[in-house]
Amino acid sequence: MSEVILRIENLTKSFKDRKVVDSLNLEVTEGEVFGFLGPNGAGKSTTIRLILSLIKPDSGDVKIFGKWVTKHRNGSLQNVGALIEEAAFYKNLTARRNLQILVNLGGGTNRRIDEVLEIVRLIDRADDKVKTYSHGMKQRLGIAQALLHNPKLMILDEPTSGLDPHGIKEVRELIKSMSDDGITVFLSSHLLHEVEQSCSTMAIINEGRLVVSGKVKDLLKQTDLFTTEIQAQPIEEAVSVIRQLDFVKIVVVSEESIKVSVSKDDLPNLTTVLVEKGIKVSAIVPRSSLEDFFLSLTVRDDG
Amino acid sequence: MMWRLVKNELIKISGKRRSFIGFIVIGILMPLILWGFKVGGSQVYREITEQLQENFIVVGSVFNGFLATYIVMNFLWVHIPFLITLVAGDIVAGEGSAGTFRIYLTRPVSRGKILLSKLLATYIYTAALIIFFAIMSLGLGSLWLGTGDLIVFHKGILILPSEIAWMRFALSFIFSIGVMLVVASLCFMFSTMVNNGIGPIIGAMAVIFVGLAVSNLPLDFFEKIRPYFFTTYIDIWKEAFYDPIPWREIGKSILILVIYTAGFLGVSFAVFSRKDILT
Ligand SMILES: Nc1ncnc2c1ncn2[C@@H]1O[C@H](COP(=O)(O)OP(=O)(O)OP(=O)(O)O)[C@@H](O)[C@H]1O
Ligand SMILES: [Mg+2]
Repeated sequence: MSEVILRIENLTKSFKDRKVVDSLNLEVTEGEVFGFLGPNGAGKSTTIRLILSLIKPDSGDVKIFGKWVTKHRNGSLQNVGALIEEAAFYKNLTARRNLQILVNLGGGTNRRIDEVLEIVRLIDRADDKVKTYSHGMKQRLGIAQALLHNPKLMILDEPTSGLDPHGIKEVRELIKSMSDDGITVFLSSHLLHEVEQSCSTMAIINEGRLVVSGKVKDLLKQTDLFTTEIQAQPIEEAVSVIRQLDFVKIVVVSEESIKVSVSKDDLPNLTTVLVEKGIKVSAIVPRSSLEDFFLSLTVRDDG
Repeated sequence: MMWRLVKNELIKISGKRRSFIGFIVIGILMPLILWGFKVGGSQVYREITEQLQENFIVVGSVFNGFLATYIVMNFLWVHIPFLITLVAGDIVAGEGSAGTFRIYLTRPVSRGKILLSKLLATYIYTAALIIFFAIMSLGLGSLWLGTGDLIVFHKGILILPSEIAWMRFALSFIFSIGVMLVVASLCFMFSTMVNNGIGPIIGAMAVIFVGLAVSNLPLDFFEKIRPYFFTTYIDIWKEAFYDPIPWREIGKSILILVIYTAGFLGVSFAVFSRKDILT
């Protein structure tokens, strides 16, 4: 269960002169749900297109199931399913026809078409043209396409983007059941909580470079990765109090709140100190968004 | 395997409205034109043929389905390329713009095979459209207006007896298909280069119009560069009606057109195999 099935090695790609993926190294182990996290424009989709040989790397390579993508493209992609960004279809054809086209391409069988339509609950609409589908239905059909040939590695690029909470929940459950069926999932997202909920391992990239990778549990414990937001009055006093504490680091100060990096264990101490100094703490929002995390990275770089 | 890929492309073609425009245009226009011949004929041709009938013995009606087809071919053949580019221009670029390549090209089938299947589907479509044109002009015309000797104008007046005329039409339509495959290849090449369905059509039509101008306008400068344009060689379909058939000339033209087509396709495959799929 611990075989590396996807290895990204020194992958680099530039558009014009800008490096979009920069010497990226990653390993995905069989059976895990791997979160690929990064803010908008970090290079997630570009990396995924490189993995699937939709675009050619400037240097580096990707090894899937022991085969290098640039040299043995067909062999390496045999057992890979993918949904890249928004799902796209031949809109004037029915869902079933769209799937048949992929079957003709050499993946899956006609019987499997009904199975995957059943899985994504589109069997009742199978013979409607895709142009009559809602966004959520299209995303589900995209997942059906990816499941058609029983892949062992599933690559999903922000599969929940644009979905309502119900749709998001449904996709999350689909990911869970894929994982239960033994499919390794590579899930890209710009939402920390999404990765937190679905993934066992994750890597964070920013500006095409790997920032950190490891077990989700371990990374979330790592205090300096994520910021805690403190809403308190008066804010200036709170800032000066926090400045004197060596277990807290201020990341950013705004009009109503301070974002700090502090370990979970030290958080109670922080609130105690603030309250003792007569500061009114109205809210503490732990581990806020990924955007804050990247903000903290840049702050750190400056300091 | 290849047949299944081609079938895929034909399914995709059949799912687009623009694929039917050519058939609809020909299907409506042709009966109208034939009807026009039937009721009125052509003033110019009637005057000429009336004179002819005084001097020659022409079997059957001069104003028959053969003549109608011949005239229609002469007038419409510059417009047919447009109908073909509607499909040829879209076949690769359309998938780029719809984003469907990002799933279609992640399956373990090489890009070369995918492109070959698209090319074959384009050729099948092109041949089908010309065959439909033949049925609607020659087929419908000979049923409706009857057959007889064909009078053509090439270095004077030429009368082709109806038994020979059939042969000549068959040959001419075969040449037409060949010529339209060259046009389709040109547009196909443009289609591999961009991600929108309109650009390749404009590109191919621009090349054809400029090329035809160079090939046909009697200007000294144009005459110098004329041999290098493939458009100079694409009216071989007309030569099927010459007497005797100028096989040497036709052979030379076909050779040059084949070389051009190989060039268009070489570029297409080179571009497509290197193309970054970013849509
Ligand atoms: N075709 C292109 N030409 C030039 N630059 C591009 C192209 N596609 C992407 N980029 C740039 O590459 C960078 C990475 O883009 P990419 O789509 O991989 O990011 P992403 O992590 O998927 O972001 P998002 O979360 O918004 O989907 C961006 O800065 C983007 O502007
Ligand atoms: Mg993206």
